[in-house]
Amino acid sequence: MAASVREKQAAALKRMLNFNAPPLKNTAAEPVWKVLIYDRFGQDIISPLLSVKELRDMGITLHLLLHSDRDPIPDVPAIYFIMPTEENIDRICQDLRNQLYESYYLNFISAISRSKLEDIASAALASNAVNQVTKVFDQYLNFITLEDEMFILCNQNKEHISYHAINKPDIMDTDMEAIMDTIVDSLFCFFVTLGAVPIIRCPRGNAAEMVAVKLDKKLRENLRDARNSLFTGDTMGTGQFSFQRPLFVLADRNLDLATPLHHTWTYQALIHDVLDFHLNRVCVEESQGSEASPAGARPKKKNKKSYDLTAADKFWQKHKGSPFPEVAEAVQEELDTYRAQEDEVKRLKSIMGLEGEDDGAISMLSDNTAKLTSAVSSLPELLEKKRLIDLHTNVATAVLDHIKSRKMDVYFEYEEKLMSKSTLDKSLLDIISDPDAGTAEDKMRLFLIYYITSQQPPSEADLEQYKKAMLDAGCDLSPLNYIKQWKAFTKMAATPANYGSGGVKPMGLFSRVMNTGSQFVMEGVKNLVLKQHNLPVTRILDNLMEIKSNQETDDYRYFDPKMLRGSESSIPRNKNPFQEAIVFVVGGGNYIEYQNLVDYTKARPGKRVLYGCSELFNASQFIKQLSQLGQK
Amino acid sequence: MAADITLLFKASVKTVKTRNKALGLIDTSARDEPSGARRNTRQRNAFSCKAKEVISNISKLKDFLLQHRKDYVNAGSFMSPDVSHMTDSERDQIDQDAQIFMRTCADAIGQLRSETDRQVVSAQVKDHRAAVLDLIEVYLKGVCKLYSEQRAVRVKRVVDKKRLSRLEPETACKDKPQTDVEDNNDKLVSDSNVDLWEDSRVEDDLSPEEIQMFEQENQRLVGEMNSLLDEVRHIEGKVVEISRLQEIFTEKVLQQDTEIDSIHQLVVGATENVKEGNEDIREAIKNNAGFRVWILFFLVMCSFSLLFLDWYDG
Repeated sequence: MAASVREKQAAALKRMLNFNAPPLKNTAAEPVWKVLIYDRFGQDIISPLLSVKELRDMGITLHLLLHSDRDPIPDVPAIYFIMPTEENIDRICQDLRNQLYESYYLNFISAISRSKLEDIASAALASNAVNQVTKVFDQYLNFITLEDEMFILCNQNKEHISYHAINKPDIMDTDMEAIMDTIVDSLFCFFVTLGAVPIIRCPRGNAAEMVAVKLDKKLRENLRDARNSLFTGDTMGTGQFSFQRPLFVLADRNLDLATPLHHTWTYQALIHDVLDFHLNRVCVEESQGSEASPAGARPKKKNKKSYDLTAADKFWQKHKGSPFPEVAEAVQEELDTYRAQEDEVKRLKSIMGLEGEDDGAISMLSDNTAKLTSAVSSLPELLEKKRLIDLHTNVATAVLDHIKSRKMDVYFEYEEKLMSKSTLDKSLLDIISDPDAGTAEDKMRLFLIYYITSQQPPSEADLEQYKKAMLDAGCDLSPLNYIKQWKAFTKMAATPANYGSGGVKPMGLFSRVMNTGSQFVMEGVKNLVLKQHNLPVTRILDNLMEIKSNQETDDYRYFDPKMLRGSESSIPRNKNPFQEAIVFVVGGGNYIEYQNLVDYTKARPGKRVLYGCSELFNASQFIKQLSQLGQK
Repeated sequence: MAADITLLFKASVKTVKTRNKALGLIDTSARDEPSGARRNTRQRNAFSCKAKEVISNISKLKDFLLQHRKDYVNAGSFMSPDVSHMTDSERDQIDQDAQIFMRTCADAIGQLRSETDRQVVSAQVKDHRAAVLDLIEVYLKGVCKLYSEQRAVRVKRVVDKKRLSRLEPETACKDKPQTDVEDNNDKLVSDSNVDLWEDSRVEDDLSPEEIQMFEQENQRLVGEMNSLLDEVRHIEGKVVEISRLQEIFTEKVLQQDTEIDSIHQLVVGATENVKEGNEDIREAIKNNAGFRVWILFFLVMCSFSLLFLDWYDG
């Protein structure tokens, strides 16, 4: 499993786009053109992995949504990439009847049932298009890979499997079953794409356990069915050591509710928290510069620009986990190097102009032509670099504006102290009643973290005081009700999660940035240095991977789909530490946990950790769900 | 990985067929088959046939180039005693043919493009065809790159060969037989050397100083020639580089050309609009003035009529 999940999924997609034949390496191959048709699920899966240009290179001339109006293009093969739902099947039957394309390659994102297949068959027979349906495939790609080591389940109907849906008090069994089935289906597809059968471990007594039981059953059934098993044959041979199986840790969101509410300080997590960031695309509102408006002009408009943060963007890959001041510095450095290269090229221009009529031009020319060639060939790279620098400058400026207006660095520092149980220098009440430090939501988050991480709940009087202060600041108190319930519920379990013993060291004002005259005027924003500390999820993973004994994780159940008889014991049969692990959080996850896992992996070379969650939310979305739950 | 369920699909088609037969639904679709196929083929002819033709032509060119690439580049001929498989004239012929071919392909693509612009089809089909033509162009560019690479390698090799042959004119006689040009040059050089030797052999008892002098002069001449030829070779190489740069520049300039054209159109449209606007404003002013005149006239008439009535009454 040397290739990351993202590469595997991208390779699977490319193969599918090449009519399910392995893509040729020949660069000057004849173009074969095709049309790609997807539904919204397919769109979400493809858009973080392949850009429009890459689709064009593979010969896709048009890419259309399934349910849009499509005109007949008579002599072109069409590749469909859709979920096997009722309406999609109806639409396919309609297309077959209307004879829109020459040949049809149907690829279903997850497995299609026999009855639906027969529906398509009857429609094909009725319109006499059976020979046109050239190939039908089950792609098993029902998950979205956002980063090399991170995936989420789906983006379209995520309310169905959100934290709110799983934990609502009036949930019915049938709903729960449906949710579990969706999650298990996607996880199954994920393991098929990965090509490995994992060993599953999960805590007892919550949604994670149900998911684990179902997944184990599904994997077991598939392995027993020797004829159609998806895990044999060449999928296993892709550079994998078959005796090293990955560890699959299922965690539940209820284990750690403070992390999604936490204010963060790393670049990617900040963007997700503060700006509109979905599927690697961030939307930034730009206000027009303060130019003098001409007489009688309309008022200044705010542009919304959206940027894609992709794997090809080296700056992003290097700095997405760095703390924000580092990012500011790095952007400044990149800008300087870019300007130096630009000056180089401009100087060439003047030299060429000067020496044009000189007799000694011949000897000078040789040097300059070489330089000119290199300059011209590096010009596209330079332009690309400029575009990326602009992108990051805009994004970082937007984030910085938010930080300054909401004083998020204060919150971050305070929460870190709360979570590591070190001494607090300002009382909570001060911060909450401070009118210009952050929005009402920020204060709510801070208070919830305080409530969750305190060993014993605050006394009634204190609580009333806090409530009053928060109502003054304009917060909605319904999340608090839910958290109270949750806390009471988990008190029966072991001590609440210990957030590690890290700390935060403020480093004073960022004077160096001011000296270099950068655009990011960071005065008033403290340069906070993150110390390493492990979030609960990381700690659990560590215990399970290294087979350490810990009272939290000893009670976890153990499933091995390859064993002949399912066992109820929780004694692991495998005594060696695992090299690969996949962590999946049922109920939602976020970039802070992902970053923590990435840091954990960096500290231990040779181990690979993949992070997945059923949905990705930032703090404000999570607060919304909590308030919905609290209102019931 | 992905599971191929095409066979499953075919099986379900069969079951549906048998089920339909069992339920008594007669398929009239058997008769529709030929008409459907005919309809498809008619539409197919127009665009995709031509596009496929262009592609097959470009592929033929590519195969031709690749086939003769080994002979063309001819890495081994310098050392081996075999006669090279290709003379320079053959190489030039290939160059010319390839260029003509590429030009015709590019023209064909341009023709197809203008045709599709003229045809009235739906927006999606237009987009599709435009994208198809783009793909073909990219393919053609790839094949042209093959050709220009080959050519650059050939020019470089010729230049290198000349350089190597120049470096040791005295050992020209010992050199392996080369191409005609080089043989001629070598013969000339060896002739001049032979002449020198003959001269010196005639005057057998030249004083050692004179011998030394002649030797020095020889050396100097050789050095001068070498440096001259070095510079010439240098310049040749640089000219090749410049020509490559020129190609890149012309490409960029052509791109800009289309943009400038469109800007020009826009500007022309804008000036027209401004002119019309001016006309309209003039009209409006005139109307305004005319209107005012009429109002004035009306008021004067009213006052006169009032005076008249007053006078009539009084």
